[in-house]
Amino acid sequence: MTPSLRALSLLALAAAFGAGCRTREDTRAASRLILRYQPLGPDPAPFRELVASFERETGMEVELQALPNGADLAHQLLVTSLGAGGEDMDVFVLDVVWVAELARAGWLADLSDAFPPARVREEFLAGPAAAVVQGDRTFAVPWYVDVGLLYYRTDLVPEPPRTYAALAAAIRAAQAEAPGIAGYVWQGRQYEGLSCNFFEALWGHGGEALEGDRLRLDTPAARAALGWLRELVADGLSPRSVVTAAEEDARRAFQEGRAAFMRNWPYAWPLLQDPASPVRGKVGVAPLPGETGPAPGALGGWQLAISSRAPPARRAAAARLVAHLTSAGANAVLAIHYGRNPARRAAYDDPRVRAEAPFIAGLLPLVERARPRPVTPYYMLAADSLQGELSAAVSGLRLPAEALGRAQAQADAIAGVAR
Amino acid sequence: MSPRAAWTVAVPYLAFFLLPLGWLALTSFWPDAELARPLPSHLTLENHAAALAGGGLARAVANSLLVSGATAALALALAAPAAFAVARLGVRGGRALLAAALAISMFPPIATAAPLYVALRAVRLLDTLPGLVLPYASFSLPLALWLLTGTFRALPAELYRAARVDGCTPLGAFRRVLLPVAAPGVATAGLLVFVFAWNELLYAVTFLTSPARRTVPVALALFGGEFRDPFVVLAAASTIATIPVVAVAVLFQRRVVSGLTAGAVKG
Amino acid sequence: MTARSERRLGAALVVPAGAVLALVALGPLLATAWLSLRHRVPVLGEDRFVGLGNYRGLAADARFWGALANTAYFTGLSVALELLLALPLALALHHAGRGRGALRAAVLVPWILPTVVAAKLWALLLQPDLGLVARLWPGGAAAVLARPMLALHAAILVDVWKTTPFVALLLLAGLQAIPEDLARAARVDGASGGRVFRSITLPLLRPAILLALLFRSLDAFRVFDVVFVLTEGGPGHTTEPLSLYAYKTLLRAGSFGRGAAISLVTFLCVVAIGLAWLSALGERRHAEAPP
Repeated sequence: MTPSLRALSLLALAAAFGAGCRTREDTRAASRLILRYQPLGPDPAPFRELVASFERETGMEVELQALPNGADLAHQLLVTSLGAGGEDMDVFVLDVVWVAELARAGWLADLSDAFPPARVREEFLAGPAAAVVQGDRTFAVPWYVDVGLLYYRTDLVPEPPRTYAALAAAIRAAQAEAPGIAGYVWQGRQYEGLSCNFFEALWGHGGEALEGDRLRLDTPAARAALGWLRELVADGLSPRSVVTAAEEDARRAFQEGRAAFMRNWPYAWPLLQDPASPVRGKVGVAPLPGETGPAPGALGGWQLAISSRAPPARRAAAARLVAHLTSAGANAVLAIHYGRNPARRAAYDDPRVRAEAPFIAGLLPLVERARPRPVTPYYMLAADSLQGELSAAVSGLRLPAEALGRAQAQADAIAGVAR
Repeated sequence: MSPRAAWTVAVPYLAFFLLPLGWLALTSFWPDAELARPLPSHLTLENHAAALAGGGLARAVANSLLVSGATAALALALAAPAAFAVARLGVRGGRALLAAALAISMFPPIATAAPLYVALRAVRLLDTLPGLVLPYASFSLPLALWLLTGTFRALPAELYRAARVDGCTPLGAFRRVLLPVAAPGVATAGLLVFVFAWNELLYAVTFLTSPARRTVPVALALFGGEFRDPFVVLAAASTIATIPVVAVAVLFQRRVVSGLTAGAVKG
Repeated sequence: MTARSERRLGAALVVPAGAVLALVALGPLLATAWLSLRHRVPVLGEDRFVGLGNYRGLAADARFWGALANTAYFTGLSVALELLLALPLALALHHAGRGRGALRAAVLVPWILPTVVAAKLWALLLQPDLGLVARLWPGGAAAVLARPMLALHAAILVDVWKTTPFVALLLLAGLQAIPEDLARAARVDGASGGRVFRSITLPLLRPAILLALLFRSLDAFRVFDVVFVLTEGGPGHTTEPLSLYAYKTLLRAGSFGRGAAISLVTFLCVVAIGLAWLSALGERRHAEAPP
């Protein structure tokens, strides 16, 4: 290396160190909180203002740190950070299916004092309340929710189908009217979205997935549900591409006018109504069909939790922050500016929400019926193998009965239950 | 093979490599609502605007340049003297060291992320750029060691001997005679380490939390929302973010090839 | 300075690199090895020593063997394809004459693109029914991603697209190291181009080929991003490589001991492959005359 090159490299090193190093106080004051959350949308201003109003009211300082938007990465970061001591953050967001496992791991502070379970059940929707209250203790507070919906083309389908039979008939009618159009697009890729679709089908067939703490996957209703999903693909009611489809793939197909029905979350609605969207004004939203009538959609969404390792003084401050962020006013801000469905029942009647986010306000009946996926600490542990088996069945690799049997065996092994 | 035959052979390859890239660049001008169509109805710059909005991407590019440059510098600073020692000074067990180094770098990163997180936190290097440079440099050290050892080994033995006869100390011979001649090999190793550090995602996402310190892969991973996957914005962002690296690669490509020639391959 | 003191200086020069490696890389490695001997599921509060229990569990795990088979198939096919494709490209780059700088730069770009971006690009292109490829080849035959037995080939395609330039560079360097006179002399003697290639170029290119095979197989065995973006290991685990299985076990299922065991097994396989190629390289070196 020439002398100048070496000097340059040393300079680069020094610059890197200088730029990157920062002083860290040994102990964070009780008045400084760290909030880890997923960015809500392109415009950070309304959320920052929400946080700033909290800072003004209480004189505390809140540091915002972003979590990646991918659920896996966010989960990994949380597990890494909480597993390493949990002192790096005070308030953080949780996917609805993580609450049970992280609570069981002892990483979530018990919030029952600041948020008594009875009050949580009263003020928040039933689904998220069931997900955050475990053993009659509150471990997280619902922030915003999601629910699985049936989107349909109003120009091809006069009335949304309420049963599976009606769905099949409506698909055939739509295909007669618009040849070449696909029927029903949903998420069949091997990931958590497929589990959501499966549980919705399970509930639609009248089944239940949880017996106490034990996952029951190998039931007649489950086999019927998985068989129905598989037949959708085998019979051509759903295009082959659903086997690799995630939310965006389904949305793009539907938005491009290539499908008559879609199962997706509410986030797709504003995109479908975009001025450039080919299906603008031709889309309706309805509850998912079931065997004998409309079935509940799967519950999605995020909650706020506090690290159990935060010292008591900071914990109290964190609880105030959580209360502020989950207040009715905050719910309205999130709905209006970021399209996030409120977790509080009252927020749907808020005049501001009614005026500026009418679609969200109208979702109340659907959101009220949303059901969480099995609330058990073993869910995340079993989810991985469940996804594999569901994917195998849906893609025709394995029969539903066999797939569910294997999934049940795995779940039992994890829960330590002897067969 | 004549030049004409060479170009005839090269054209299908160029098509295979460049057409998808061209499609990627085209996608960055594509309105998102029309992505499912075969061709867009009009081109738009809104994706690039969205990608650059808020200055986050620009800052990420700056951070990545800093981190990748520092990683390359550190890896070279550690590997070059060591490679020289193994190649010319007859260190015992040199080959074993190289093999062990290679083995260490082959460990799946996912398994090392958690222990490293704990370690970095203990020395307060979490959420700092040097805290990222250190793991990057050590995991790319073996590659640099391999290439540089081969480079130095391929240099004529007389070069070193003549310099010593002229009165240089070993280190002096290394710095003044061998390094300049081995510059192409050093450039090669530097480029490979740079590209590796530039594209690394897992450690960057795990160890960095502040928005101001994000690197390019992290910024790209944060595009979109929970379900949203705005590929068009991602395409715009990747095109923008890849330009600096391509520039570096183009600058170095001549040296890279002659560097690999200089004996890195003959070992 | 005597040879002995030279060696001592050499040892001193090696120490910084060795220290950094040991400190930053060896520590986590040993931690993982130790972790693989425990049954550790933080979520359930379970943490106990099980010795080789995790490994015994893996040996009986069909998904593990499937992942191993997927990984081996992926590695074998992609490395072979990359080599076969890179050789003519390297020759073309070598003989290209004017514009070879631009050609080399153009060819490098797929390699520089972040793997995740490349994978998403191809995921869109290969999307069944809607992707560009499906539109150009209608009829569902191109819906590779949706077919359990074929989806892995899509990942191989992306990997080949991305890393053939890298292999071509390594081979090009080997080509440029071959002295011109040998080929010229052979041609003067009347040998055809093909003959020259077979008898002179190819044997002298062996070290470059072996080095490329070494680095590429070590990397291909640890494939992750491409498969994750394309299929997430589906349908039904049929495209799941070992690194993805380890990732899911560690992060989604939260079973740290098991995940560490899978990582360690992957690592040992990679070491075995590396040793195999290294000894092939070593033999080559012994066969050639010393400089």
